[in-house]
Amino acid sequence: MNKREIRSVPPTKRRLGVIVVDPLPVVRAGLALLISACSDMEVLAECGVAEEGFDALRRVRRSRVVLLVGLGLAGERDSFSFIRAVRERYPVHAILGCGANADPAHVSRALFMGADGFVDKNVAPEEFLEAIRGAANHEVVLTGPAPIAVGAIANAIERRRDVEIRLTEREREVLSVAAEGLTAREIGNRLGVRERTVTTHLARIYGKLGVGSRLAAIRLAAQSGLVTAGRLE
Amino acid sequence: MTETPSSPAPVRVVVVDAHPIFRGVARMACESGPRLELVGEAEDADQAVDLCPRLAPDVVVIDVDIAGGGIDAIRRMRRAGYRGRVLVLTEETAGAMVLDSLRAGVDGYLEKAKALRSLGSSILRVALGERLIDPELERAAVMELGRFVKTAREGSRVASSLTARELEVLRFMSEGLTMATIAKRLGISPRTVETHATNLYRKLLAGSRLQAVARAASLGLIDLRRA
Repeated sequence: MNKREIRSVPPTKRRLGVIVVDPLPVVRAGLALLISACSDMEVLAECGVAEEGFDALRRVRRSRVVLLVGLGLAGERDSFSFIRAVRERYPVHAILGCGANADPAHVSRALFMGADGFVDKNVAPEEFLEAIRGAANHEVVLTGPAPIAVGAIANAIERRRDVEIRLTEREREVLSVAAEGLTAREIGNRLGVRERTVTTHLARIYGKLGVGSRLAAIRLAAQSGLVTAGRLE
Repeated sequence: MTETPSSPAPVRVVVVDAHPIFRGVARMACESGPRLELVGEAEDADQAVDLCPRLAPDVVVIDVDIAGGGIDAIRRMRRAGYRGRVLVLTEETAGAMVLDSLRAGVDGYLEKAKALRSLGSSILRVALGERLIDPELERAAVMELGRFVKTAREGSRVASSLTARELEVLRFMSEGLTMATIAKRLGISPRTVETHATNLYRKLLAGSRLQAVARAASLGLIDLRRA
């Protein structure tokens, strides 16, 4: 309703803002160099860990940016949980996972967590930039993985969904702690519940997943990407 | 059984297509050189599933648009032990069809109109382990993958918002049971079932039982085929 805000001069087209989140300094520097050479995009921040990524996102004054997230983040949050958190807090930003020779399981996890696409670090620079533009343009981008991998990626996503649908949040939590190799009592201590409650949860989990042992349940959870090295996403 | 004219042994091919004319084209492509040999033809899914594991060809060239469904045929012949390569050759260009084919584990997906002229060499390339897919069709499959991922994510989000009881009620609803029957099965009052149903409608953004069941099925929460 504020008439004073109306401008007669059309605003110049703003360059596309990119935030690079990657654990390797040399990758960040390389990407920054590549992107700064383009007239249509610019790097807003270079981050080495998830926390820096969140800081950069809080500072950003743009309605929409592209986040490039390397899949090897270490620290409090790994890349996948970072992607999930960003997707929840900033639904409009584009998230592009990137990695070198990533296996389809990682690509599917990144997508399931909320990435809009994936680009392999081994592709030609021009292709990499096109992937960023595509993501900014609301496209689903998959640059690098073999075309045939699309099927394997979809299958992995479906397995993941099926496990998530069958288990409650608490059961997923129990399973991920169990994947660390803890006893029922230790799991109970960790989660603040009684040992009996843990064994009840475990029995239910086996039933729902159609497996007969803890090992089989953990294997299934690992295959579907629900747990990695004992961590729940 | 059949004589091999010269070494190396020719690539053995089975073609699966509803149209005799197209099968004829495939036969011509195979007969035009010594490197391909057409060992079988099928016109629908059942014939293909019967033929392929038995003949164990190197390459099956198959149209997804056949009676019984081409993609189902591929899955069934894989289950029946067929280990060779599969090249889809079709007029179907919808992303969902391409993605489903890739999920079933095909080695190539080509559009008929574009691929007919070079069919022989395409079959050879697939036999040698190359993955062949039209870039535009790959694009369509990736877009479809994007939709697929969103639905999967949404499915697991909605699923984690449902209680175990609500999920039970939902499954019974999908089997067509009345509220009274569901109440009896679960040993709770019909009023309580109604409350669960109301919560379900809200969480599934549905206005009716039918909508709730349809949406739950599309999100993968229930499997209507199994019911």
